[in-house]
Amino acid sequence: MAEAVRRRVLVVDDAGLVRRYYREALEAAGYLVDEALNGLEALEKLLLQPADLVVVDVNMPQMDGFTFLKALRRQAAPLCAIPALVISTESGPQDFAAAQAAGANFYLVKPVSQATLTDYADLMCGAGA
Amino acid sequence: MPLIRRPSPAAPDPAAPAPAFTGGTAEERWAAARAAAGSAEAVPTLAAALATEPDMRVREAIFTSLALIDTDASVQAVLAHVRSDDAGMRTAALDALRAMPRRAGRHLPALLRDPDADVRILACDLCRSVAPPELHALLGPLLETEPEANVCAAAVEVLADGGGPDILPALSRCAARFGGDPFLAFSIRIAAARIAAQRCG
Amino acid sequence: MKPSQETDEEFRRLCDFLYRRTGMIFTDSKRYFVQRRIAERMGATGSASFASYFARLRSDIAGEIEQFINAFTVNETYFYREDHQFRCLTADLLAARLKHKTPGEPIRIWSAPCATGEEPYSIAIWLLENWPQVDAYDVEIVGSDIDTAVLAAARSGRYGRRALMRLSEAVVKKYFAPIGPDAWQIIDELRQSVAFTPVNLSEPGQTRGHGVFDVIFCRNMLIYFDDASRRVAAENLFENLAPGGYICLGHTESMSRISPLFDVCRFADAIVYQKPAGGAHG
Repeated sequence: MAEAVRRRVLVVDDAGLVRRYYREALEAAGYLVDEALNGLEALEKLLLQPADLVVVDVNMPQMDGFTFLKALRRQAAPLCAIPALVISTESGPQDFAAAQAAGANFYLVKPVSQATLTDYADLMCGAGA
Repeated sequence: MPLIRRPSPAAPDPAAPAPAFTGGTAEERWAAARAAAGSAEAVPTLAAALATEPDMRVREAIFTSLALIDTDASVQAVLAHVRSDDAGMRTAALDALRAMPRRAGRHLPALLRDPDADVRILACDLCRSVAPPELHALLGPLLETEPEANVCAAAVEVLADGGGPDILPALSRCAARFGGDPFLAFSIRIAAARIAAQRCG
Repeated sequence: MKPSQETDEEFRRLCDFLYRRTGMIFTDSKRYFVQRRIAERMGATGSASFASYFARLRSDIAGEIEQFINAFTVNETYFYREDHQFRCLTADLLAARLKHKTPGEPIRIWSAPCATGEEPYSIAIWLLENWPQVDAYDVEIVGSDIDTAVLAAARSGRYGRRALMRLSEAVVKKYFAPIGPDAWQIIDELRQSVAFTPVNLSEPGQTRGHGVFDVIFCRNMLIYFDDASRRVAAENLFENLAPGGYICLGHTESMSRISPLFDVCRFADAIVYQKPAGGAHG
């Protein structure tokens, strides 16, 4: 597929192996992938290079996923409208509620297979990569 | 030239009254939190303030003072928030524990056996500051018996960074226990490759 | 010196460690560059294998993290270093700060740590050369460092040719006096306009006497601190910034590894960090 239409995903997770697992799946499905280790770095990266989707963990150093999403939703367009997929080990009802309040579009509980990830990415990026 | 220079800065006045937490503005509560950094007696006050403080930045300053006080009581005050329902509070508590690695380290065995799997996952991440052989002593038994795949994955993440060759057998037994989990299989494959490379390197 | 012989996964392990610690990213295309630095540090530390070197780095034995990061960065200080931040200062930051100033109120800029003074003098020269409004406002520039020996050198303002390499001949002529072969001194008028003070940024409350600044340049220091010192330094800097004031870090540093106290802002020439206009509350 032509470079111009490839969609870009920012993976935000403090675990390096998780980022790598997602990156391999997303790149194989045709996406461009950027990485950030926490919410602060994600905001910094998005200000330099917007994405078509953010995949966000919850527990991360310095800025957790929900605080990041709230900050993202306060940014100017187009950043505020980037769809967000939360993928976390946290599975309590308070976490689902907090994710919704912070502006997440979907919430998956780990472990998430590479196939599930790319299915959601395709769904959330419209027609897919 | 309009560049100007003033006399040297004045030293802070040590006789100035200590600021208070209660009833003040966020700036005053921030000042109270920072002023407490030197005194172990302030831990109960800091702990109480933490429980009700609405401002993220004031909370950061309270956590910093607890980390600098660095006593068993101050660790306990921070640990109380590792299981908070608020993700921001959990993050702040873990960051504070990272700033007191030696004293927090003594609590790692208990945290890794916590009944709450979420706490065990966070405890694995705190093990990053530990080197082998202590790291293996902490995470090796977990790889053998931990029932939750997500906790094992958190342990593997840390071992991929800091683990040594002695941990390789436990990693492969863990992979066998969770044969159906593709992410854990992926993680253990990479962690083992990194550690094995280290052995020949 | 031959590149070290570590495997793919060892290379990635080291890159992951550096990324986690600093935010610096090295992809496979930079592998040769990274390998050369690893080989240098292995030689300097007498490490027999990559594994033993990595264990040393990871445990930060004898300050190895700082040594290793230094191997990747040009550790020399010289005039107009990282001038994209100075462009950002005159293009965006000062205008934003002036909106909050009452007439006659000075603009205060802090260089900490300032080492031997290249940075605060660079700021002064840059403003005089590149900021059209420089005559309309009072500007106070303070350079601070923990090391009193470098502060004495900063006050004397004497530099060799290398420190001046980025400056035009006209600028050198205007702001420096030749004092010997390959030696120049900042002109008195400029030396007397920059204040130099001792400061310890990692002690709580030690910076309060310096007052509140509009812009702080704090390059290549926080990333070397341990977690506790980073927290204290970030809180000190937060107190020393006016609400809405800005802080500039070194180009290999990211606030995402240091503190959540500041907001991130993107301008045309630089990413900088800001104390929220509401002060402590945010």
